[in-house]
Amino acid sequence: MTVPVASTPPLLEAHQITVRFDGLVAVNAVDVRFVAGELVGIIGPNGAGKTTLFNAISGVKAPTSGRLTVQGHDLTGAAPHRFAARGVARTFQTPRVFGDLTAHANVAFGLKFAGRRPRRYGWWGEEVGVPWALRDAPGILTLIGLRDQADMVASELTPSQQRLLEIGMALATRPRLLLLDEVAAGLTESEVDEMARLIRRLRDELDITMVWIEHAVATLLRHVERVIVLHQGQKIADGTPRDVMRDPHVIEAYLGDEMVGTTAAPVVSMEGATA
Amino acid sequence: MFQWTSTQRRLLGRDFLILFGLAGWGLALPAYGSPFAMSLGLTCLMYVALSTSWAMFCGTSRYLSLATAAFFGIGAYAGALSVEQLPWWQAVSLGGLVAAAVAVVMGAMVLHLRGTYFAVLTFGMTELIRHAVTHWEKRVTGTVGRVLATAPEPLTVYLTVLLLAVLAVALAIVVRQTRFGLALVGIGADEQRAQTLGVSTRWVKTAGFALTAAVAGAVGAAMSVRWTYIDPPTVFNPFIGFQTVLIALIGGAFTLWGPLIAAIVFSVLAETLRLTMPEVYMMTLGLLLIVCVLYLPGGLASLRWQSFESWRTQAKAWWLERRDTWSGERRRREARAKRVQQAMELGA
Repeated sequence: MTVPVASTPPLLEAHQITVRFDGLVAVNAVDVRFVAGELVGIIGPNGAGKTTLFNAISGVKAPTSGRLTVQGHDLTGAAPHRFAARGVARTFQTPRVFGDLTAHANVAFGLKFAGRRPRRYGWWGEEVGVPWALRDAPGILTLIGLRDQADMVASELTPSQQRLLEIGMALATRPRLLLLDEVAAGLTESEVDEMARLIRRLRDELDITMVWIEHAVATLLRHVERVIVLHQGQKIADGTPRDVMRDPHVIEAYLGDEMVGTTAAPVVSMEGATA
Repeated sequence: MFQWTSTQRRLLGRDFLILFGLAGWGLALPAYGSPFAMSLGLTCLMYVALSTSWAMFCGTSRYLSLATAAFFGIGAYAGALSVEQLPWWQAVSLGGLVAAAVAVVMGAMVLHLRGTYFAVLTFGMTELIRHAVTHWEKRVTGTVGRVLATAPEPLTVYLTVLLLAVLAVALAIVVRQTRFGLALVGIGADEQRAQTLGVSTRWVKTAGFALTAAVAGAVGAAMSVRWTYIDPPTVFNPFIGFQTVLIALIGGAFTLWGPLIAAIVFSVLAETLRLTMPEVYMMTLGLLLIVCVLYLPGGLASLRWQSFESWRTQAKAWWLERRDTWSGERRRREARAKRVQQAMELGA
């Protein structure tokens, strides 16, 4: 994968985004831009502002200051549904599926709202301009591997299935950009690999740009092509996993953070990234 | 609860058939029933319309509104003021329209709040509107309350309320099948999630609130002529709002037919008990609510044969437990288990 050229029009561009809660500055003047086809990871110690940044760029929390454009449209301070309509979808850290509805209905929900945009139909009544895999709820359930659970009520699914369903719900909005918030947390090693394969497939086959937050640095660095490092609300590094993990600021941030504790974490992952 | 399956179209037909049958019953009542039955039917239909439309929005989206009395009262006043100038159906529609307009304004102010705050604020606004109307009457017309000189026939009122009740149920049936209804379900389950999936929640909530208010307003306009004299304490009676909520909750606020079933039960209770033993009536209502909340969280409409069976098994298990305790069987059983364990430990 080539490093994105600066001239490519960005899918989403955040300019000097600041989010403040009363006295606390959760995100401080952060610039991010995502271009089509990327697979970006966002890492940072606890409380670095990763989820708050996601909330800001998906409309869930309006930024205190800064500017947001999605595919050239200014969406600063807009409601989440307008972000969804412009092709920005997200998942939440703890899966927020509709517990009373079936897996099928959960996926169908997105299709009925944000996913309803392309209303051009072909000869066979199929929607034009929609990837085949995202054409309907069974298609999406097959894609995320929950075809057999289609008629199960979402609250009865296992936590890892709910996490997949959460991704399926987001896919149903037929996004251009998918924001994944700790989708691999609490999964076993093999499940994480499966998840990473799914994410890579979605990017490669459906051309959905992926931005992936993960607290576990090692897992993430193995799978992404670009990493953004947040620390205390500020962006301290942005580049390929190799370069980022050699960045003195990043090493310092992780060494100084007691929550991560073992200094081995970034070093080990650096090995993994270079291998 | 609510599922989108391939059977939905068939269910739609079934629901309309049931509604059709019930409406036929309602139509036949004036021809055969006594004036008492008519009055009972009218109360019943009024609460069918009010609580079905309340459940359609407030039940599904879990925005517990106590403002039904406000919309009812506004509709009643709009109807009473215009009934002498306008044809009957226009006066009734005017009541609905004015109430819906007020709901849009009120919704813009309170629909961003949830839970208790929303409930309390809608109740506060009801009181505010009541006092505003009282104040306006005192200042502008000089008297509180007004006497209705011309009123349509009781039969016309009855048929109008019947029509409104049928419309309210039909609206609830249709809304359940549409994207709008699905959006309400999403808002009730997780509003923010629904938003990130593309639901313009502000629009949906305002529209739902206005629809509920329109029904309540039209019912208010139609019912206002039943009393020859109306004043704010009568038509803005908070009890109307509470009863609507109570009926919907007892019947099952997430179900289609629950409010209707509960409205029938409630109005029969009300008319038979209220005159003879008013206290018993209120106590029965309270008891019914407590029983429903504790044992039937889904409301009367969620009652199935299975519920009776599970109650029976539970009661039986409870009785066996009691019997064994009283007869000393449980003590003996425990002693036996202890002996067996000791023997096994010795053997090991």
